[in-house]
Amino acid sequence: MGLVDAPNDRKSGRKGRRRKRIGFHLDMTPMVDVAFLLLTFFMLTTTFSKANTMEINIPPESGEVKIAENNVMTLRVVEEGEVYWAIGEQAPQRIPLYEEGSGQEAMMLSEAMRQMLRQQTGANERLVIVVKLSPRAKYKYLVDLIDEFNLLAIDRFSLDDFTGEDARAVGLSGVNTNHQEL
Amino acid sequence: MAKIKSRRIGFRIDMTPMVDVAFLLLTFFMLTTKFKPPETVQIDLPSSHAEQKVPESSVLTVSISDDNQYFMGVSSQQTREDIFDRLIAPVLAEGGMTAGAVADSLQQFRLTESFPVERGLLEQYIMMARISNQRIRPVVRADMDADFQAVDHVLKLFKESNILTFNLVTVLEKEGR
Repeated sequence: MGLVDAPNDRKSGRKGRRRKRIGFHLDMTPMVDVAFLLLTFFMLTTTFSKANTMEINIPPESGEVKIAENNVMTLRVVEEGEVYWAIGEQAPQRIPLYEEGSGQEAMMLSEAMRQMLRQQTGANERLVIVVKLSPRAKYKYLVDLIDEFNLLAIDRFSLDDFTGEDARAVGLSGVNTNHQEL
Repeated sequence: MAKIKSRRIGFRIDMTPMVDVAFLLLTFFMLTTKFKPPETVQIDLPSSHAEQKVPESSVLTVSISDDNQYFMGVSSQQTREDIFDRLIAPVLAEGGMTAGAVADSLQQFRLTESFPVERGLLEQYIMMARISNQRIRPVVRADMDADFQAVDHVLKLFKESNILTFNLVTVLEKEGR
């Protein structure tokens, strides 16, 4: 296997030395072995993929938009993965963000949550969603929510600070809301 | 019958073309492989359905670990040097380092993909990266268990630095809906 064969013709030259070279075999097996080993290694370790990202555009500080109160839906997300949603000044209603019992590994939002979003955005075309995440809420909640908005083609949403007032609205007290400290 | 059998003994195949192709592929993979730099910190990215890719060049990466530590990295060497010269070198010099030692740490810093940054200093670093390169593309790589507060801090800093478009790094969600 893997041999190099020299052509067996004789050419002129110094006889004694050239003789040995004629018709020689070189065993290339070890070299080919190593080459294939490296080839397999590089083929298996190479990943051509790049990380996926979500692009976020945030409005500049100055711009302020006035929206009628009943076109605003506030989603208050608390640490435990529960959402309190309210339209305008309505009393907040509680919905679990993920299916019960799925824990941290949950890949998607709960059916109830998605249905609510679909219903509310379907009912009011001018609905603007304001998402307020409590400071201790997980980053995953934010990504999952934005992902759901993207899937439902909701592009009118914004992020806002979770204030003490929001904590009171959802019936929590003593929530640490100091955003700018540390 | 006997004739066929005798032919099989000690036969040779010319493997040269196969070896050629193998080496061609080997060279290709060796040259195109860029090893992933060892990560300073393990980050479990959240999953999403976003399919957009990370920008190619002049990326500013702010990583947030699950215990809310910040790490920063810039892809362009120029920005790295600027950050070092303006922010890190003065601190080192003040700490009693000689010019040679500072130059040494610059060499090391050039190869650093990401470095830990304290929460209070993050603003300076982001500002400096922004000043050094106006077209810098900020990317947030946060662990899915990081607190929203920590991420929000970075988003607010971006906003203050007038960076209004940025990316959140996620992994593609596998299961279908």
